[in-house]
Amino acid sequence: MPYCYYTCNLIPLDLIIRAGYTPRWLGGFLRDPTASTRRDAPSVHPMTCPYVTKLVAAADALFGAAPDGGTSDDDASGAADGSRPAASPDVLVVPGGCDAARRMGDLLAATYPDQVFVLPMPRGSEPEVAETLATDLRGLEDWLGACRPAGTAPVTDAAAATDTDQREPTGALSNVTQTDCCVPSLDYPSPPRQGGVFVIAGPLTDDSLLRLIERLGAHVSGLESCTSPDRWRPLAVAAGAAAAMSAAGATREAEIDAATRLAPLDHEALAARLLEIGMCPRRSTTHRRDHLARRLDQSRPSSIIYARQSFCDPGAYDALLAADLAKERGLPYLEIEVDFPFDANGPLHTRVEAFLEAQLLDEDLLSDLDY
Amino acid sequence: MPGMADITGDSFSASLVRAAFLAQTRLKALQSRTARRYMNLHALSASLDLFKPGAIVPWVSYLFPTELLTSYRLTPMIPEVGSATLTGTDLREPLEAAAARMPLARDVCSYHRIALAAVENDMLPAPSMCLGTTPLCLGKECLLEMLAVRHNVPFREVRVPLPPDEGETSPEVIADVAEQLRVLHEDIGRWTGRKPDLQRAIRLSNRASAAWGHLMTERLAGRLEMDGRLTFAIVFLGQLLWGTEEGAKDFERLLSERGRRDLMAPILDGGRRLKRLLWLHTVPHHDTEIFDLIREQGAVVILEEMGQMHLETVDPEDPFPGLAGRLANNVLWGSSARRAHLNVALAKQLKVDGAVHFNHWGCRHGLGSLPVVRSAFAQAGIPFLAIDGDALGRGGAQQDKARQAMESFLELL
Ligand code: SF4
Ligand code: SF4
Repeated sequence: MPYCYYTCNLIPLDLIIRAGYTPRWLGGFLRDPTASTRRDAPSVHPMTCPYVTKLVAAADALFGAAPDGGTSDDDASGAADGSRPAASPDVLVVPGGCDAARRMGDLLAATYPDQVFVLPMPRGSEPEVAETLATDLRGLEDWLGACRPAGTAPVTDAAAATDTDQREPTGALSNVTQTDCCVPSLDYPSPPRQGGVFVIAGPLTDDSLLRLIERLGAHVSGLESCTSPDRWRPLAVAAGAAAAMSAAGATREAEIDAATRLAPLDHEALAARLLEIGMCPRRSTTHRRDHLARRLDQSRPSSIIYARQSFCDPGAYDALLAADLAKERGLPYLEIEVDFPFDANGPLHTRVEAFLEAQLLDEDLLSDLDY
Repeated sequence: MPGMADITGDSFSASLVRAAFLAQTRLKALQSRTARRYMNLHALSASLDLFKPGAIVPWVSYLFPTELLTSYRLTPMIPEVGSATLTGTDLREPLEAAAARMPLARDVCSYHRIALAAVENDMLPAPSMCLGTTPLCLGKECLLEMLAVRHNVPFREVRVPLPPDEGETSPEVIADVAEQLRVLHEDIGRWTGRKPDLQRAIRLSNRASAAWGHLMTERLAGRLEMDGRLTFAIVFLGQLLWGTEEGAKDFERLLSERGRRDLMAPILDGGRRLKRLLWLHTVPHHDTEIFDLIREQGAVVILEEMGQMHLETVDPEDPFPGLAGRLANNVLWGSSARRAHLNVALAKQLKVDGAVHFNHWGCRHGLGSLPVVRSAFAQAGIPFLAIDGDALGRGGAQQDKARQAMESFLELL
């Protein structure tokens, strides 16, 4: 099965698998920083978020043709996973949720013609918006079908499209092996509990930020991130059933169960579901604010940390929103600028440590008070 | 001498200072009688009205079809225009200080950062409504909606799908955008309680568009050589005036030689040929040196990418499809590939010697399309220079670097 790489977790994996591809999150295939770069490799302006910058490099390691027409430079030193050589049947889907992501799609589409699909991602969720997105999803499905190499087939068995476990993609993906499929390996190191830190972040490669918080003696109350499992997991489940079941308040297991019995893809339901789940910083401020407020009220944190990618516009405005919400609730708030992949050492470690220590100190002082 | 700080208040003395300031600008316009001077006067006068107590202040995105506002005799507050204006006055310093104190990340588009700092510190009037358009960038939609939430005023976004890489937007898409504009026009009436006169606004806007469109045709055909840095300012300020009587007259003034005489390309001694540059994206508003350098080196910005708007008129009987088409097919909207091939075609038509892309600080839209645009120019064999800068900046190391790069580029040409 050819691979379909994707850049953002608002991609319904089910659609990709049904179209006959193995989905792979491009963020799991970052270029080895020490590897040499192709001479004609696309490059982005330095004022671009590290996520896009690294994904463009990763895409080139996977899709870039070698200068001599043979294997790419990177095949020797290569993408971290030992990527496929150039001219492979693999494709890349880039949801254009923000300007940087849209322009990344444009750049990659211009560099690797016919191998890249840019999927427009709206801000709103009105019925007309969902309708347009459904049409775009149909367009994506058709495009994937047209790109699929001869001799490969779409997956018609619905059960094949329902693997949702992030760490170990298991048997349900009948045509997809565990090692082939790649989704972000981000999850809570330990179950979230009230009274801890609520983390809001852009894309994270792994749980190192959450583990850092735990190592520093605090715990996590909740996580909102582009790569958090509550984003992509429900979308891995087939669309129509998932939408219907979740509307009826069904459990995740029931959703999966329903999905395995699912008939053809319901693009409208999938689009609606995608918009419902994808409540990320690019979304309408009003909706995002309501969403974050609800999450905060549910998880009752004692502080908020916002881990923002540098040069991220949606993140910049979202951080203001989060700061307002923190202020309204009287919660200590810290904004940190992070790289991709996240590096839990150095100055960031010190800032998070100082922030958490100040809170622990406050708590100690309060508990010492004796009236 | 009163400064901007005295003008933007809503006290009686501020209104007197405003009147005096306007009188001065009016005198300059009367003396010169050029479109440019009149446009300064009218844009300033309309904008200052926004500071009056009780004024309705629609904050809108740069490409918003402002005829929907002039239909109700409303003046738009465009963050980009507001920021560029204020940073050119004596409010610059306090504004920069306010922006530095703000918790908004420093790496976002400076037009928006400054606009936010200005409105939060009473240097720009607070919004009564915020109206966005998906073109051109997400950042300004984030800004406008955040302001709407903070000030508890309505927010609307006109959703405009990306145009195809080749050709025009489909009629169905235009119809959808037109319908959004129609509903929005009605909403503005409901919010303000005012009666519309869209036909009048469109007729006035058409007069201005016909004049500007004619001028652009002449420039593209090579029959008229104007200085693109100066005409950029005409369109930039013109955004405040489309659909007004003053706007119509000001754009029509451009049709006479006298009216446009302070916008013309220089004429070199001895009939020497000017080096012709195509300018892409916005300009460094307060960096006169880079344009002085261009002139000194016998070059001129022969056309500015952003001047390509309002080139056709729209049907006053059924204006929404025309307004929608303008928005959906704007040359800066769409994929990087579209922007690239439109600009290469433009460069070829104008027979330019080179193209300059201004990499405005924090603009993901412009910076993001740069690699594709650059490589299209390289393939076409047209010299291309990208300079980093802040459209609102004044001096500093980055501008020095940009000037050096420009100097070498011009020598190379
Ligand atoms: S949302 Fe932010 S982090 Fe994500 S791609 Fe866009 S700019 Fe980068
Ligand atoms: S300069 Fe770029 S980011 Fe700023 S308003 Fe214009 S398009 Fe948006």
